[in-house]
Amino acid sequence: MPESRKTPTAFKKLTYDAVQVGDEFVSDDHLVIPEDVETHSFAVEDDHPWLAESMAPPTLMANQALHLRHSQYIVHAGLHAKMEFNFLAPIQPGMRVRTRGKVIDKYERRSKPYMVTEYVTEDESGAVLVRGQFTQMIIPEPEAPHGHAH
Amino acid sequence: MATRIDEPITIGQKLPALVKEISQRRIDAYSGVRPRSIHSDEAWARQKGFRTCLAQGMMSTAYVSQMMVKLVGPGFARGGTMSMAFIKPVYAGDRLTVHGVTKDKQRENGATRVTVDVWVENQHGEKTAVGQATGLLT
Repeated sequence: MPESRKTPTAFKKLTYDAVQVGDEFVSDDHLVIPEDVETHSFAVEDDHPWLAESMAPPTLMANQALHLRHSQYIVHAGLHAKMEFNFLAPIQPGMRVRTRGKVIDKYERRSKPYMVTEYVTEDESGAVLVRGQFTQMIIPEPEAPHGHAH
Repeated sequence: MATRIDEPITIGQKLPALVKEISQRRIDAYSGVRPRSIHSDEAWARQKGFRTCLAQGMMSTAYVSQMMVKLVGPGFARGGTMSMAFIKPVYAGDRLTVHGVTKDKQRENGATRVTVDVWVENQHGEKTAVGQATGLLT
């Protein structure tokens, strides 16, 4: 086990002050299995024959990126404002994929705090499959409308 | 990919719209089921001021992906782009219609990059997401 993994993560509450530009995140590795593709296809009513083509829908791992901040912060609430993808290579069943991310900006607009994260989703060899960035609103705990949002 | 649209693509072309019924079961399949989640805990969603559970905005990116795969085939998974803004909540029980209109075509490394303006509307005609996607036709 790597040295950095010996100490459990000390999760902090996500606030505008706590999050720092430059914060880096990494997801766990995820083995893409046929059931992932089937579940995604059911969820979004996608009848494309992905498994017959040994491919996964391009946005299959989008939530792996969106959840990156949960790897270090207790996310009381948030709203997803913007999402950008650059699809470089297909995700395929049998791949082990992970997503890395870095906070590249935070700002306030109309008294609402936002954070911007850039990300790459890569296979086990490090080849980049998808890259992009997303913007999430940070909702402070007292006025949070919900506990888990994406 | 089997479903690519084979007709020549013209600027201003309306793509076949996709209609999506946003059931709670499909939201659960997409987001997972957790307590204290506005996506899967209706009582919690109501407590927080929403009339029922909300769909993740990200589901709309999957719909746009479907539309682009039908348009350009493998040139979306290998070279495509998408940029979306989520501007209005989507609720369980909503019916969404996904629209696309071609905006531009440019030669790029022996292929043609097609740019499409995309937007998603609910059953009231309100836009819930807007953006742009591109894909490579080879």
